[in-house]
Amino acid sequence: MSSWSRQRPKSPGGIQPHVSRTLFLLLLLAASAWGLTLSPKDCQVFRSDHGSSISCQSPAEIPSSLPADTVHLAVEFFNLTHLPANLLQGASKLQELHLSSNGLESLSPEFLRPVPQLRVLDLTRNALTGLPPGLFQASAALDTLVLKENQLEVLEVSWLHGLKALGHLDLSGNRLRKLPPGLLANFTLLRTLDLGENQLETLPPDLLRGPLQLERLHLEGNKLQVLGKDLLLPQPDLRYLFLNGNKLARVAAGAFQGLRQLDMLDLSNNSLASVPEGLWASLGQPNWDMRDGFDISGNPWICDQNLSDLYRWLQAQKDKMFSQNDTRCAGPEAVKGQTLLAVAKSQ
Amino acid sequence: MGDAEAGRKTFIQKCAQCHTVEKGEKHKTGPNLWGLFGKAPGFSYTEANKNKGIVWGEETLMEYLENPKKYIPGTKCIPGTKMIFSGLKKKSEREDLIQYLKWATSSLRKYVISQNF
Repeated sequence: MSSWSRQRPKSPGGIQPHVSRTLFLLLLLAASAWGLTLSPKDCQVFRSDHGSSISCQSPAEIPSSLPADTVHLAVEFFNLTHLPANLLQGASKLQELHLSSNGLESLSPEFLRPVPQLRVLDLTRNALTGLPPGLFQASAALDTLVLKENQLEVLEVSWLHGLKALGHLDLSGNRLRKLPPGLLANFTLLRTLDLGENQLETLPPDLLRGPLQLERLHLEGNKLQVLGKDLLLPQPDLRYLFLNGNKLARVAAGAFQGLRQLDMLDLSNNSLASVPEGLWASLGQPNWDMRDGFDISGNPWICDQNLSDLYRWLQAQKDKMFSQNDTRCAGPEAVKGQTLLAVAKSQ
Repeated sequence: MGDAEAGRKTFIQKCAQCHTVEKGEKHKTGPNLWGLFGKAPGFSYTEANKNKGIVWGEETLMEYLENPKKYIPGTKCIPGTKMIFSGLKKKSEREDLIQYLKWATSSLRKYVISQNF
């Protein structure tokens, strides 16, 4: 069902035919034994009932035209500031397009017009600073958009116009400092939003407002200092919340209020010395059995009476606690260095 | 020796959206990883992952997980994989994840004492 490169294997030149043929056969035997591809400088093409799957890495040549039944195309690890203009011409059945690790500086606004059935677009590790208006005009079928590790410093709502079916949006690893209001206002199907590893200091309070039904929210590795009470309210069905590696010093009392089925909460490696009473009320047991767990390690906890609520909560779900040995008190002096669990137990 | 608990957190954060680990769990976007160690990649999802040369183990996973899209030299590799995961740069993170996978995808599971699991 699968075949390797379309290229016919070449025999070594300049030697007598029968020797070269024997050599070639030996090479083939060795190659298949070691699983070596004979012609790595060609794109690899696989055909199946579903269609053609084409995979190109430098130094292969990017095909100037694609088979009409192409469903999967990967053009990766090239040194390309722009894509060839008609790359996707004629590939109207294309479902997945992987363009990671090129060096793309910009995309032409019409570039996705030939592929209205596209479900996945992976632009990880390029040099994009923005997207042209109208890029996704014909992308009503796109489910997954990955812009991870580009050079986005700002985000315009208009760039994402047309993405009616978007379920997974990955903007991690960019240089975003602020987000525009109403960013997600028109996404009804968004399940996963990854904004990790950016430079976000604040979030618009209406960020998560909209018809979307978020399950996963990644905000790790930013510069957030405060978690307000309104941010998470519009997303009661959130399951995974990653806030680790920020500068959180303050979490509002009602911040987790509405969350009904949170399975994973990561608040590790922040600047939390204390948290308000009632913060944990709706999380975990007895309301909901967190499937995966929580992590509050790497914070400068001041283990005084103000944490009584937290101690009670910890006792009730300590089997869901990650990094127990790294969750320690920074003060007061009497308990400095002890684990929170030990202090909780002694209450 | 990696830390399987830290690896489990990495798995939840970066892999669980597309992969399951327990025996009999459904495939998601990517294959279920039960029985990973010792297996050759053969999930028919991308033809590009069919590879008779590679058998999954600590070494091959260390290399693969650093950059899953890149050609692995000396093997018939896996370019153009459907994964949208671009890899784990930190060696310790990969070590932790692989320790977790070692446990989670095999019958070593029942011998782990830690209460977290």
